This record gives sequence, structure tokens and C-alpha cells, in this order.
Amino acid sequence: MITVTRAPPYLTVQDTGRKHSRSSGVPRGGAMDLFALQVLNAIVGNALDSAALEWALGGGTVRFQGDCVFAIGGARARATLAGRGIPSFTTCHARAGDELTVEQLIAGRFLYIAFGGGIEVPQILGSRSTYLPGRFGGYNGRMIAHNDSLPLGAHPHSTPAEGFTCPPELLPRYESAAVRITRGPHADLFDEAPWHTLTETEFTVSTASDRTGYKLKGSALSDSVGNLPSDASCQGAIQIPGDGTPIVLMADAPTVGGYPKIAVVAEADLPILAQRSPGEVVRFQLVTIEQSQRALKRCASDLHTIRATGAASA
Amino acid sequence: MRAQPLGDSAITIMLGTERSAELLNHVHAAAATLAAERLAEVQDIVPAYLGVAVFYDALHTSYSEMAPRLLAVCERATASTAVSDKNREHEIRVTYDGSDLVQVSVSSGLSVDEVIARHSSRSYTVDLLGFVPGFAYLSELDSALQLPRRSQPRPRVPAGSVAIAGAQTAVYPLDTPGGWHIIGRTDRVMFDPLREPPALLRAGDIVRFVPTP
Repeated sequence: MITVTRAPPYLTVQDTGRKHSRSSGVPRGGAMDLFALQVLNAIVGNALDSAALEWALGGGTVRFQGDCVFAIGGARARATLAGRGIPSFTTCHARAGDELTVEQLIAGRFLYIAFGGGIEVPQILGSRSTYLPGRFGGYNGRMIAHNDSLPLGAHPHSTPAEGFTCPPELLPRYESAAVRITRGPHADLFDEAPWHTLTETEFTVSTASDRTGYKLKGSALSDSVGNLPSDASCQGAIQIPGDGTPIVLMADAPTVGGYPKIAVVAEADLPILAQRSPGEVVRFQLVTIEQSQRALKRCASDLHTIRATGAASA
Repeated sequence: MRAQPLGDSAITIMLGTERSAELLNHVHAAAATLAAERLAEVQDIVPAYLGVAVFYDALHTSYSEMAPRLLAVCERATASTAVSDKNREHEIRVTYDGSDLVQVSVSSGLSVDEVIARHSSRSYTVDLLGFVPGFAYLSELDSALQLPRRSQPRPRVPAGSVAIAGAQTAVYPLDTPGGWHIIGRTDRVMFDPLREPPALLRAGDIVRFVPTP
């Protein structure tokens, strides 16, 4: 069990989301940075889809009620355990009564904290993820507040040795300038000029960005197509509303929508975009679906490598 | 009919280009047949107006492998006819006392009783679900009741509100912002995350509204 003795302004439980309820209109949800979540689960010896804390917008403190293995990562943070600084993406051991304090998020948006055994809130529609707009999942469907306590699952049979660090070449490349995209279902409705704007100019993430979508600032795409009959949407879909400025749908993307979807962000690169703060730059690079799916499979094999390396250190 | 990627983990099968009741029947038939196939890689099936999207496990297959298989299933599903008689039917009891009922009466030039009679005297088809969990778009509304959305959406529409906009009607499943005209309310739980499936309605279902005093 852990107790959040000082909660940051945003704190929820997230896992890899709901993959089987879209026909009921339920978004997949789950962690904004799925790769960081899964790396951290590997680092503490959990199943990759275990639930962890998704943390943003400020500092806070978590108290461990029992001995526990944990790891932090995703956004870069200045954090301490019992007063001593701890590195990201590294296996840490806490003792009962220890306090983990996140002093400040330095870069990126979403920090994840995975605990050995995972956070054991009830599964709803196959996931422990918090869906705030629907007020279900996670911790009673809401954000975690001061003095909320969260149960942890049974300790994993084997955990990596204290101080095990994810090999740096396998970590997400958050500093990467380009975010890969594939052609979306309405790609053909846009001619050369809007495609040139999308792939050859820079955009910045606007302050109108949350778990549902990131609105971008930059040159408007000409030839906006207007509304279409609603069709299925997905995480990473880049939709072009009437004013021509792209909105990238994120973790809580609605299941259907009527704006044309010119492109979709590669799943392998969605974490890079998710970690961009308002005002930060994003560039898009068009790749084929084969290249994009290969990149996703590469992420999965990297996760297996991290898991195997960690297990060997135990 | 053609397949297109919708990102790394989904394929959209487009069955047509123009919205129509007939095309929707094809879409619902394709979705039902795809579900019945129980393909191991398939995770979710999302029918919409012009086609159906299939979400799949991209770590164990690929777009080029899945697209022809899904197209073949959809071709087969839409070739056969007479699937509509298998649709599930629902009766939803409605108290017609919504805050926009009088305004709808004024805008349509019909009496309040006539608005209620026209809304409750026909059966509707669930076109698709979306917007928020459990929100079912129902067609087709009596033409005299078809109004544009409210110019000012409400910040909060209570769950259970029965509303109309354009050619459609719906029941708000959750407390959400909303721009439709509220004409009544129901006690039916349209969405319950603890239920499987969580949404009461499914694309292709038939719905009738029954006035209660």
C-alpha cells in the first residue's frame, strides 16, 4: 500500500487502456506515454500492462506503507527517496515508511511511477485506467488527492537488482525532432499544399492540449474539407477542423468523430508527442504503414530486451 | 469497398461514400459478421456511417496481412441480404418534460402533445455509438421535429436526458456538455461501466420511446 501525502495538481492511475469496448463508445484511454509505462513495469518486474501512477503539473509526495520496489520515468523529474536523489528508469527499493518526493518536473509532461505488483484498483472493462470524463476506472473514477491510499498487488516473483538501469539506447527518444505519421483515412481529400504544410513546416503544441487531444499552432492547412459523416477515430489521429489547424487525438480520443483525419501518428512516436509541453515544437515525417508497424514491433522487442536484461540482473 | 489503415492498429473498411439507411444496414451486417468470425487478432469493431473500423493486435500481424482477410469477410457479409430482422429491440419509457420541449413546440409550430406524439410514434435505428461512452445516435426523426443544434451548448446535460438535433434523437448516457434540445428524461441506465457490454444500445438496434405520465 502507498499513501499520497501530497498530491500534484494532476494524478491518476493508468495502464495500457481498454481495447475491447470501443463499440460501446468507450475510448481506449490508458497512459499518455505507453512506452514509459511499459519500460517502468519491466524495470520493477511487473507484467508490462500493470497499472501505475500518471503524474503531471507539479510536485508531491508518496509514502510507502511497506517495503516496495519502484521506478520513475517519462517526464524528467527531480525526485528523492528518503532525502536522497533518485535517477529515472532505474530500479529503486523503498522501505516501509520511506517517502518518495517529486520536487519538480524539469522536462516533459507526464511522469510515471510504477510499483512492484502494480496498483491494484478494480479492473473496469478490462483495465485499471482512470477515464475522468466518464468518472470510472482508476481510483473511484477520479484524480488522486491528498491522503488517498492505493493498494498494490502481490510482489513480483523476481525483480531486477536495485540500481538496474534501462540501457540508454532503448529509452524513448524524447528529444527526437520528427514524429512519424502515416496517411489517414481522409489523406486523399487533401492535395499537395496542405500535405506540404503538414510535413514541411513546424508546429507548436498549444495550451489547448489535454488527455483527449493536443491542438497545434502553426500554418493552417489550406483546403479544409469541412465535416464528414462520423467515422472511427483512434489515438494519434491528426484531424483537421474547419479552421485548418491540426488537432492530434491523444489517449482519451473519442471512438468516432466527424473531422477529416489526414494522418495518424505512429504508435512508436506517440509518446514523444505526448511528452511535448505547450510551446514546444513538433515536426511530422510521413512514413509508410509498413515502416510504422515495423517501428511499433521494434518498441515491443526493446521492451522484451529491457525485461530480459533486468531479469538477468536479479 | 476498400480498406485503409487507421494508424498502426486499425483498418477502416469503407463500404460506400454517401450516407444512407441502406448503407448503414450493410455496415451493421459487416460489423456483425466480423464479430461472429472471432478472429484472434481482432480486438474491437467500430461501425460508423460509411464503413467499419477493425482494431487489431499489430504486434502479431500486419496491415497487409489483415486487410484482404477483413475485406473478404465484409464482401461476404454485404452480399447476403435480410439481416435486419435479427436486430434487437428496446422500449425506453420517457417522461416528456424537458427544458426545451416548449421551445421545440414553438420552433416546429406543433403543439407540445403533437411533438410528444411524433417523437414517440416511430421506431428508430441506432446509427452508431460515440461522442461519449454509451451515446447512441438514433434515426430518423420526424421531419417536422428536425431543428439545428442549440446555438449555445449547455455545459452540463444530466444523464438520462432525451434530446433531439437534426434528423437524430438520443439519450445522454452520462452528465456531459451538450447542444441538443432536451425534450424529456428516462430512468434507463444507458451506460454502466460495470456491465458487459456497458452500453445498453448497439449499432443496428431498434428503439421505441414510450411516453409515461
